[in-house]
Amino acid sequence: MQLLSQPRTQTQLVPRHAFGLLPRLIALAILFAAEALTISVWLDNSALSSRSGLAGFVGLGGAWTVRGVIGFAAIFLTFAYLKSRDGFARISDRAQQVPLNRGFLVAHFGAMAAFGALSWALYGNRSSATSADWFVILWLAAGASGIVFGAFSFIPLVLWVRLVRETGWLGVYALVAVVSACAVGRYSEALWMPTAHLTFSLVKVLLRPFVAGIVTQPATLTLGTAKFMVEIAPSCSGLEGVGLILGFGIMWLCLFRRECRFPQALILLPAGVTAIFLLNAVRLAVLILIGIAGAPQVAMGGFHSQAGWIGFNAVALGFSVAARRVPWLSATEQPAGRADDGPTSNPTAAYLAPFLCILAAGILTRAASSDFEWLYPLRFVAAAVALWLLRKRYVDLDWRFGWFGPAIGIVVFAMWIVADRFLNRGLSDALPRALMDASPSLRVTWIAFRVLSATVTVPIAEELAFRAFLLRRLISPDFETLPLRTFTWLGLGISSIAFGLLHGNMWFAALLGGVLYAWAMIRRGRIGDAVVAHATTNALLACYVLMFRTWHLWS
Amino acid sequence: MRKVLGMVLLLAGTSTFAIGGIGVAPEIGAGSAGSAVALLAGTLLVIRGRRRK
Repeated sequence: MQLLSQPRTQTQLVPRHAFGLLPRLIALAILFAAEALTISVWLDNSALSSRSGLAGFVGLGGAWTVRGVIGFAAIFLTFAYLKSRDGFARISDRAQQVPLNRGFLVAHFGAMAAFGALSWALYGNRSSATSADWFVILWLAAGASGIVFGAFSFIPLVLWVRLVRETGWLGVYALVAVVSACAVGRYSEALWMPTAHLTFSLVKVLLRPFVAGIVTQPATLTLGTAKFMVEIAPSCSGLEGVGLILGFGIMWLCLFRRECRFPQALILLPAGVTAIFLLNAVRLAVLILIGIAGAPQVAMGGFHSQAGWIGFNAVALGFSVAARRVPWLSATEQPAGRADDGPTSNPTAAYLAPFLCILAAGILTRAASSDFEWLYPLRFVAAAVALWLLRKRYVDLDWRFGWFGPAIGIVVFAMWIVADRFLNRGLSDALPRALMDASPSLRVTWIAFRVLSATVTVPIAEELAFRAFLLRRLISPDFETLPLRTFTWLGLGISSIAFGLLHGNMWFAALLGGVLYAWAMIRRGRIGDAVVAHATTNALLACYVLMFRTWHLWS
Repeated sequence: MRKVLGMVLLLAGTSTFAIGGIGVAPEIGAGSAGSAVALLAGTLLVIRGRRRK
């Protein structure tokens, strides 16, 4: 295995402890995430919201505070790395000379144990003593001490101070951004009702050419026909999409400002906002048409929740393509005639296309489903077609595998089952009603495609995307020239986090699984080991689901 | 690449603010955020990944 890192400049007489700044930050994030996950399983903030004093304040603002802290950390560390790479490298080099502080680590676990015990008393016990302000202050102090001790055990105070100094005003900007986002999220609710009325009028106009005898109740924002009616809730007014497209657009124009022609490119912001707002009205009109056509469960089920993301992705992609390709908006030189530019290649597409096909097919099949995803086999077909068409691009990869791949797969499977027992205790294990009522042949066919997808196309597509592509692409744009044994801590951390985030509330187990699959690949430089590890996990999960009737694992 | 990833990370963060605390039938479903943002990020990487041979 080959670990790439920053060039070394200091004397080797200084003792080194291998871990630079990035692996320490990743380890710290994993530690905090695991502890937060453990505590959040049995802490329900609503238990505090009805109380008075500081306990009630924690109940009302606790979730926003946690979101704010996570948002601040994400913004600060992302921009610190993007904008101050040299400073980051210097601090990292210094961190390698300092061992982990075991004293602070012990203090951290002590403080977290106290925090856990006080949390149990605060959230579970309704006695007046645990609702008193002094008790809540003690609880907050234990939690804050745990965070501080944990931070100092991985990275010394002097390096934290250097990190803040190297990044200048970034901490303040990140704080302003997070507080603004929280304030906008909270106070934009005042705009929901007037915007919902505008959306209501738009949907009525859109439906008029297609539906005779529209029934409208403006007071309750209800419209449709006698057969199928919907109420446009304030949260469906279109403002969520507008907020997301504004965030996307502003970030794009800031990060790719050198590629954009200003001030013309600024017109993309109002254009994007208008497009997403109109698409939301179209989404509601189509939803009503689907309901009137006789599929109300599809309309209110999958379509309702997926169509918003389909619209957002369409507008965001349109935004980025227009910013790059429309000469009036783009500052980069446009090729006069593409046919004369010589051949082009896109190795990224070869590695990502199967995975993107699975994601796109999944969004579409869920949008066309009610409470059960009958069209799931299309995900398998989409990935299989992409893999078959691109098969020649993968011949240079080493697809051999040994005992290590299946062994890693078994470990990840065991970890998954333990995490599931811990996190998903209340979920129903019953066979979905639709599958139960289906004919035996249809049921077997659906399950066969589900198993094939889990054990063949998903492992290949995800290992190509996260391990063979992302892990190496984070090292070099010419990632195909790097052997599969090559890795950096940054690549390992980001690719595993991204993999984890795609697995819902099992994200932490998936994150660790991603690290282990990467290890399987890096050990001998063979993608075959990672694919077989992943396929082993999924095959064992499929057996577990079918043998023990734990259907929630496939939900 | 780093810009796209940074942007997607921030977008994921923004989406948690945008969809936090919303009811069961939202305009933007929180349950699909991961796959939708991954699809967008992957497509952007493919669009920006073309190069001369």
